[in-house]
Amino acid sequence: MWEALEQMGWVKTFGSTSWMYASVSVIHYLTMFWFIGSMAVVNLRVMGVAASKRDLKDLAAQIYPWAWTGLVLASISGFFMFLTDAGDWAPDPVFHIKLGLIVTSIAFAIFVQRGVPKWASEPKMPTSAKVIAGIALLLWILTILSASEIPAMEGLG
Amino acid sequence: MYGLLVGFAKWLEGTPWGIGVRTSLWAYPFTQLVHFTGLSIWLGTNLALDLRLVGLGKKRETAAQLRDDLFAWNWIGFCIVLLGGLLLFSASATTFLVNVAFRWKLGVFVPLALLWHIFVQWKARDWGVTENTPAIAKFAGLAEILLWICVIWWAVQIPNH
Repeated sequence: MWEALEQMGWVKTFGSTSWMYASVSVIHYLTMFWFIGSMAVVNLRVMGVAASKRDLKDLAAQIYPWAWTGLVLASISGFFMFLTDAGDWAPDPVFHIKLGLIVTSIAFAIFVQRGVPKWASEPKMPTSAKVIAGIALLLWILTILSASEIPAMEGLG
Repeated sequence: MYGLLVGFAKWLEGTPWGIGVRTSLWAYPFTQLVHFTGLSIWLGTNLALDLRLVGLGKKRETAAQLRDDLFAWNWIGFCIVLLGGLLLFSASATTFLVNVAFRWKLGVFVPLALLWHIFVQWKARDWGVTENTPAIAKFAGLAEILLWICVIWWAVQIPNH
């Protein structure tokens, strides 16, 4: 089934035309750095080590729409890259770990975003909020690690 | 000048960290992790300010406010990028030095984008005091995004050269 995806006409053209594949890779890297980095600032703000003068609600309202847009673009471009070699990617165990980490990271990002209005109204940032934001940040870093391990361990990508 | 660079590259390859990243199975992905984590913080905060200057997205903060919020972590991110990048470079410095894509990336677009970023970050305090930014700020933000796209384009091309 995965090989069939790989063999579709437009997927073959896309995978074998170097400027097309390179352009989508650029979009994937750019949007990935963009959403992880901007979300990281909100997490760091909750943890009390970034933009401490700024109201948390204002910072979150400014950053999250961009971050989610970046995440959607990174997912779409990533899916296109996956298609070109779907037969090898789909059964790869390290790729499964990466996907699992992405889902968990997204869940924690939503958790933090939902906590922001509540935490911002407290006189002092709750410790639980700091821990959750720290985990959310760490999860994205682990996701990057799993992505770097795929070419190193599996020779893919 | 070029002779000096080659000498430096050879020296880097022989340093304990150069040898370490090159020969250890686990060191390379971890070094890449350092470089990519730094890039996320650095580029994520760069692009946030650029997009705010361009006028795309929410306007809960002015560009000047956002610039101040992001400033510290922007440069912490840059230091992490530099550390990871230097370690990755040390692993096979002489090979990188003759790579055409690497030369475009580090010799042309990184210095250009970096200088432009410093200029944009400096001017954002004046451009960003009102909710809507002037035309020059929109141009400057867009130009910085394009410059970083060029940097990533050449980075992606390195294995093909």
